[in-house]
Amino acid sequence: MKMILKYNSGPSLPLLSPAVSTSDPAVRRRFWSRFALAGPVVFLCAALVMCGGALWLPKGAAQIDNLVMPIVLFPAIWAGLFFYAYLDRSLARAWAVIGGLSLVHLAVIGLYVMQTMQAAKAAGAGAS
Amino acid sequence: MIKLSQERNKSLLAVHGWSAVFLGLLLYAVILTGVASVFAKELGDWSSPLAQPVADSFRPGTDRMLREFAATVDPQYHEEMFVFPRAGDRLYAFFHKHETDEDGKPRERGVAAEFDPNTQTLIERREGTDEDVDAGDRANALGDFMVELHVRLHLPNPWGLLLTGVLGLAMLVAAITGFVVHRHLIKELFTLRRHKEKLLSARDTHVIAGTWNLPFAFILAFTGSYFSFGSAFGIPAVAMVVFGGDQEKMIETVIGNPPKEDKTPAPVADFDRMIADVRGRTDAALNFITVQHWGRADSLVTMFMQYPEGKLLGPTYVYSGATGEFRYAKPSLGLQPSTGGALFELMGPLHFGNFAGVFSKAAWFALGFAGAYVTITGLMLWTLRRREQRGWRHLARATVWVGYGLPLALAAPAYAFFPLRAAGELVHGPMMTVFLLVAVAAAGIAWGLRSLTLARRILLGLTGLALLLLPALRLLSGGAGWPLAFDSGLHTVLALDIAFAVGGLLCLLSASRRHAVNAAADEELDAAVEA
Repeated sequence: MKMILKYNSGPSLPLLSPAVSTSDPAVRRRFWSRFALAGPVVFLCAALVMCGGALWLPKGAAQIDNLVMPIVLFPAIWAGLFFYAYLDRSLARAWAVIGGLSLVHLAVIGLYVMQTMQAAKAAGAGAS
Repeated sequence: MIKLSQERNKSLLAVHGWSAVFLGLLLYAVILTGVASVFAKELGDWSSPLAQPVADSFRPGTDRMLREFAATVDPQYHEEMFVFPRAGDRLYAFFHKHETDEDGKPRERGVAAEFDPNTQTLIERREGTDEDVDAGDRANALGDFMVELHVRLHLPNPWGLLLTGVLGLAMLVAAITGFVVHRHLIKELFTLRRHKEKLLSARDTHVIAGTWNLPFAFILAFTGSYFSFGSAFGIPAVAMVVFGGDQEKMIETVIGNPPKEDKTPAPVADFDRMIADVRGRTDAALNFITVQHWGRADSLVTMFMQYPEGKLLGPTYVYSGATGEFRYAKPSLGLQPSTGGALFELMGPLHFGNFAGVFSKAAWFALGFAGAYVTITGLMLWTLRRREQRGWRHLARATVWVGYGLPLALAAPAYAFFPLRAAGELVHGPMMTVFLLVAVAAAGIAWGLRSLTLARRILLGLTGLALLLLPALRLLSGGAGWPLAFDSGLHTVLALDIAFAVGGLLCLLSASRRHAVNAAADEELDAAVEA
């Protein structure tokens, strides 16, 4: 992984910068922070946007757009988030945007699941 | 020209290189097997033809054939049935029910049969889960081996699909960043500095092939990662949120056939009449039929058509399975046209290249081949630039191993397939064993020989030999001879025999001749690796 730190990239994007020493703890921290954000965190965020999108996207004429489009467009969602997370000069802002987007979709999903469970419980109580 | 700051350009160049290097060899394997999979159906037609070519897979008499087969199948498997032409245009029918396995994953269990549409007789019958049924399939084994390797690298579900999905995303990154880092796009489409420095020439051929291939690479990466993630992760995840984990219900909803249950037994309508009716409604060829609830009043028959000429989308036609009455035409998804349904329908033809018959398949094959070339030359250039560092020399050897050893390992399973199929044995296990053994032997050559150039030439030569001898192997295993194939109109057999022979000769020629650009790069790499 040291190799990655040594090669390529510009000075204000410390992810792959040749201009700075790899022994600098701040640089190493920034590298791993960017790596985590653009890697697993962005993937998780894209998955949440896909699942959450199924709840807020318009259903369209055939009543299926909300279910089909997030799955078909998943690679585009991921690519958009990945390049943003990788290229934003401000790492803190990138974390805030990706984190915020994830939390909003997590909340949308959580609310829907809770409402569904309550409705099922009410229906069960009505039936008995 | 795309204008970017130097700093941004450097960052994108870095991610372009690293996305390819981290997963490049696996990506090459997926692309190469994808190239072979474009002709998976033709591989089946070549390796397992029927005695006579089939003019019409669904000719009159299909109804009697399916009805007689259904009578021999346990009614619990009448829940669903599909039928479509496969290797050699054999008609493959599978009556099944849906169930979940020990891990809660959905699967199918039932009875499958292969028919000869010319004689309308049963060729083979298999029972069990969908996996069991596939494992006993001999006619399609060669094509399926390529497809399985391409789709999931022969890894168990969902891990194989997730891995190929990640590879698709890596290719997407390499394609998008390729657009940006090769900023002088138009100029780079035509720049080949033959008389300058040798390394520059090698770089130019990579850039030219890559630049021409960029739009195609983008399309394949996007559609490929959709196909992998869609089934392994997209459908289960969305079903978990919206349908409480019920994937069947989600699929039912998006397909849009209203599931109004009526279990009253009812006679099955005449399939020949429905097939004749659908052919009167469209010029497109019929290529797939599904029947829900065979023998019930709520039975639905859905006819899927090949894309009409010049189009990427085609309707499906739904009939009542009890009365044979035409109900409605619909898109693949939903009961009326929609953006989501159209996007979904575009994914197939764009990924498989099957929208204009053999011509579009040939174009997809050529563009895919160029993609494999770009991947492997990119890796060679990467290792060449870093030849002073010991760690990268192993990547150089691995590049030769996968780049030249994989085509050899892909040709090798045919040498298990033909004799075992002729002996009536199961073929899937031995094919995989041969593939792995040849891959290990190729690794021995790539790491065992001091000269990488020699290793490359030996592997290429062996691949040439393996391809060249394939037609002879097919003939020796009881395959149709050329005069018979010509007289019977088995054109795929002749075409692929010639293609394999020509491909083999080209490999042998390339192995015996030292191509200027590659040889220069190889020699530089050799000098570094041997140092």
